[in-house]
Amino acid sequence: MSELSLLNNTLLVGAILFALGLIGFITRRNMIVMFLCAEMMLQGVSVSLVAWGRYHNDWGGQMLVVFIIAVAACEAAIALALVLLLAAKSGGLDAMHWQSLREDGVAPFVDRAVPEEVQDDPIWPVLTRSGIEPAHDPEEDLHRSRV
Amino acid sequence: MNDSISTALILIPALPLAAAILIAILGPKLLREYSHVPLIIALIGSFLASLFLLSQVLDDQQIKSPAGFEHVVNLWTWANVDNAIVLPRSPLGESPYSLTDEGPRNFRIDVALRADALTSMMLCMVTFISTLVAVYASGYMHGDRGYWRFFSYIGLFVFSMAMLVSVSNFVLLFVFWEAVGACSYLLIGFWYEKPEAAAAGKKAFLVNRVGDFGFAFGLFLLWTTYGSLNFHDTLSDGSVDSEKVAAAYEQALENRLVTSPSDQPPTAPSKDTSPAEAETAEPTLIRGVLGQSRIRANDYRTGGIALAICLLLLVGACGKSAQFPLHVWLPDAMEGPTPVSALIHAATMVTAGVYMVTRCSPLFFASPEAQLVVACIGGFTALFAGLIALTQWDLKRVMAYSTLSQLGYMFLALGVGTFVGVTAGMFHLFTHAFFKALLFLGAGSVMHAMHHVIDMREFSGLRKVLPWTHRTFLVGCLALAGVFPLAGFWSKDGILGAVHDKIHAFEHEIEHRREHDEHGGEHRQAATLGQETFVVARLAETTAHSPFADWNDATLQRYWWTYTLLYYSGIFTAFLTAFYTFRAYCLTFWGELKIPAAAHHAHESPPVMIAPLMVLALCAIVVGAAFLDPMNLGHSYFADFLTHAPSLASPVVEATRPLHPEFHLSVAGVSTIVALAGIGLALFMYLGERTEARWVQRVSDLEGANQWTGFQWIGRLPQIGWIGWTTGLLRRSGLGFLSTLVGLFLGLVWLIIAIPVLLVQYFTPYRLSQNKFYIDELYNAFIVWPLRILAAVLAWLDRWVLDGLVNLVGYVPRVAGGLMREMHSGLVQFYALVMVIGVVILIVAQVFAR
Repeated sequence: MSELSLLNNTLLVGAILFALGLIGFITRRNMIVMFLCAEMMLQGVSVSLVAWGRYHNDWGGQMLVVFIIAVAACEAAIALALVLLLAAKSGGLDAMHWQSLREDGVAPFVDRAVPEEVQDDPIWPVLTRSGIEPAHDPEEDLHRSRV
Repeated sequence: MNDSISTALILIPALPLAAAILIAILGPKLLREYSHVPLIIALIGSFLASLFLLSQVLDDQQIKSPAGFEHVVNLWTWANVDNAIVLPRSPLGESPYSLTDEGPRNFRIDVALRADALTSMMLCMVTFISTLVAVYASGYMHGDRGYWRFFSYIGLFVFSMAMLVSVSNFVLLFVFWEAVGACSYLLIGFWYEKPEAAAAGKKAFLVNRVGDFGFAFGLFLLWTTYGSLNFHDTLSDGSVDSEKVAAAYEQALENRLVTSPSDQPPTAPSKDTSPAEAETAEPTLIRGVLGQSRIRANDYRTGGIALAICLLLLVGACGKSAQFPLHVWLPDAMEGPTPVSALIHAATMVTAGVYMVTRCSPLFFASPEAQLVVACIGGFTALFAGLIALTQWDLKRVMAYSTLSQLGYMFLALGVGTFVGVTAGMFHLFTHAFFKALLFLGAGSVMHAMHHVIDMREFSGLRKVLPWTHRTFLVGCLALAGVFPLAGFWSKDGILGAVHDKIHAFEHEIEHRREHDEHGGEHRQAATLGQETFVVARLAETTAHSPFADWNDATLQRYWWTYTLLYYSGIFTAFLTAFYTFRAYCLTFWGELKIPAAAHHAHESPPVMIAPLMVLALCAIVVGAAFLDPMNLGHSYFADFLTHAPSLASPVVEATRPLHPEFHLSVAGVSTIVALAGIGLALFMYLGERTEARWVQRVSDLEGANQWTGFQWIGRLPQIGWIGWTTGLLRRSGLGFLSTLVGLFLGLVWLIIAIPVLLVQYFTPYRLSQNKFYIDELYNAFIVWPLRILAAVLAWLDRWVLDGLVNLVGYVPRVAGGLMREMHSGLVQFYALVMVIGVVILIVAQVFAR
């Protein structure tokens, strides 16, 4: 296998990784998934760096990748902490919850899948009387609710 | 020895500056009521250094050099612009010492101090008076909230004034000219919470700007004419070392003789003095405007350009020394604390204009027209201010107008344009500083006792309450009035004598010409007026003939009658001076004892205020006679001392110096009689009942005119029998309109008659004087209000047109941003998508651009 075709193939792998990450970042709304996609883009770039380093017979590319991995680790720590905080604040991992960067006067994006709350019949919580074991759905024991 | 001169010269301004900074830093927290201590110590130090400087100058200038004695210390070069100007070729002067100024010149501002007779005299006077004023102020200002601020300002002022008189460069002169103006502003507005004080400070500052405008233009013209703004000669590398300068001067003179200007083509020499060569070659001589080499040869422009320079400088001098058109700020400046009035607005700062004109004597001597203007402005201001002072009720204002008047005398003396005149002007400056400081401090003492009431109608008969103030004030009044043998007598008499001499010289020349015309002789060749009185032989090369030899008869006649007029107006002013001085004195200290309600426990001022008064009173007695030669009263050691200042050592100035100065007994007699008459009249009118004074006031107010301008007599008309009867008859017979017509006609006639009479009511001699000839009102009507209206219009334009344009420019990005607003949704993924699209567009563009 010639050096050139090795470069080509490796770059192709890098590009695929990058494109997958990019598509994932744009399309997914779960913040952890978005973060993973961003990492994937980074790894795609790292792969192409290694490829170029190999092609030029030079350790510079490899070295840069080591640095990138170190930096990505720090980034991951911070990003995960942020995600944890955001999730605690909003009660979910949906990125759509965080739209406050938008310009004043621009209507917020509303997910059409969420049904609108009807003001007319509010659902009041009903407290179980004490001393009685609360009824629980046997279904819930079988699977965890999706995040 | 020269080093000690330099040290003294630097120490004199540096000590007050150091004190000012120290007080400004430590005053508010640490020094507080002891803030005066560092300043007084520094001022005493400065005064001692000035005395030392004076003695050194006195010693050094005994070695008589042809163009006076000066010692220049170059501290550093402030700015240097290479080849800022190329002076055109100018013809050489008549003197064998003349040099030409052609060629490229660097614009350099040397921070140089100088010691010469004029400077050391001014420094001694300034530091002496300011020391006494500082001592006095420590009592006067006691308990004031801004105590430390006051002494800090005073220190700053003395620094500026000392620098003003000792710098050796026109630019620096201008800088410190402004600095004393700024200090004056700060001190007039010292009680800035008082609206009048703030307004007076602003007025002083603005009026002075008008003068400074002229001064600045004068400097521009000096620079383009003479190619230097230094007073002294320097070398082209900036050195002021006197031996090197002298060597360069000799060299230049030698070169001049080798390449005589007549046999050189006019363009040839300018080529070989290119700037590049000038740098490599030996440093050449750069002649200062008042440098010894220029003064010795009297290389000054005459004619129009000299007149322009002098008049522009005179505008500056008028602003600072409060001469006629720009005098309005000085009386208002009395709003400041009284020690300030004494120090700045009477004794020292206002004399800056006189100092500057004296310093520039060679320039003024080159233009007799300018001297005439100086004399006229001075003479007019003296008379004008004297007339105003007659009727003022405010004790400090009387003194302020008297200051204007005395400054007018000084300008009159400078305008005489002879050695005697200039030195008499300086002498009057010197003596006036003492007795006017004394009078102001005395007025301050009265004010201190009267709890800041200064209106002379509010108090009288204070001689028992304030015994020492009364005695010293009397000495000051006698000196100001010019009574023998006090200081004011000698100096004022010197001025009048100088004018008299000038008239005499004109008369002599006119007489001479008439004789020659009768004998059919050619008067120009033989017109050697003043061979007897003037030292012509001493400087035969420059003044081989009478100063007026090439003037035509009409000019001579014009000058003669102008100076004659000025002489008589000067004598009349002396009468006015004596009168208003003693009017103020009598109103304050004689008559019934009356004390304003505000001052319930009036008492004599503390010793710290009385002591300076006594010292000044002593000076006011002796300082005039002390400088006279007891053998010949016309011969003054003061003038002898000033001869050595380079500006006055100029041959043209020297040529007007009489070989055997005489004391004019006739002039002295006339001025003494006039002064005594003024004093007598004042005493007659204001001692005792003052009925005469009231009578004079009523007459000069044209009191009878008032009854014609009132409206009451119209109401009384119908009561007169026959008028009522006639109109009634007319009305009954149906001809009522006739009486209406007659009434209208009479009303018209009355208007035509009444308007002038109404005006007369405001322009009676008394009211003119009381209202300062309505100069302030004129300024208001013709300058202040038009400017205010203009300012309002411009403010409107600025607000709605210019600001509107600026806001319009600011509005464009807002509109453009508004278009993109909708895209800013806050969704992270959308931003990422836009970024991707952007990158794709870039890549596509890159690919297709290839």
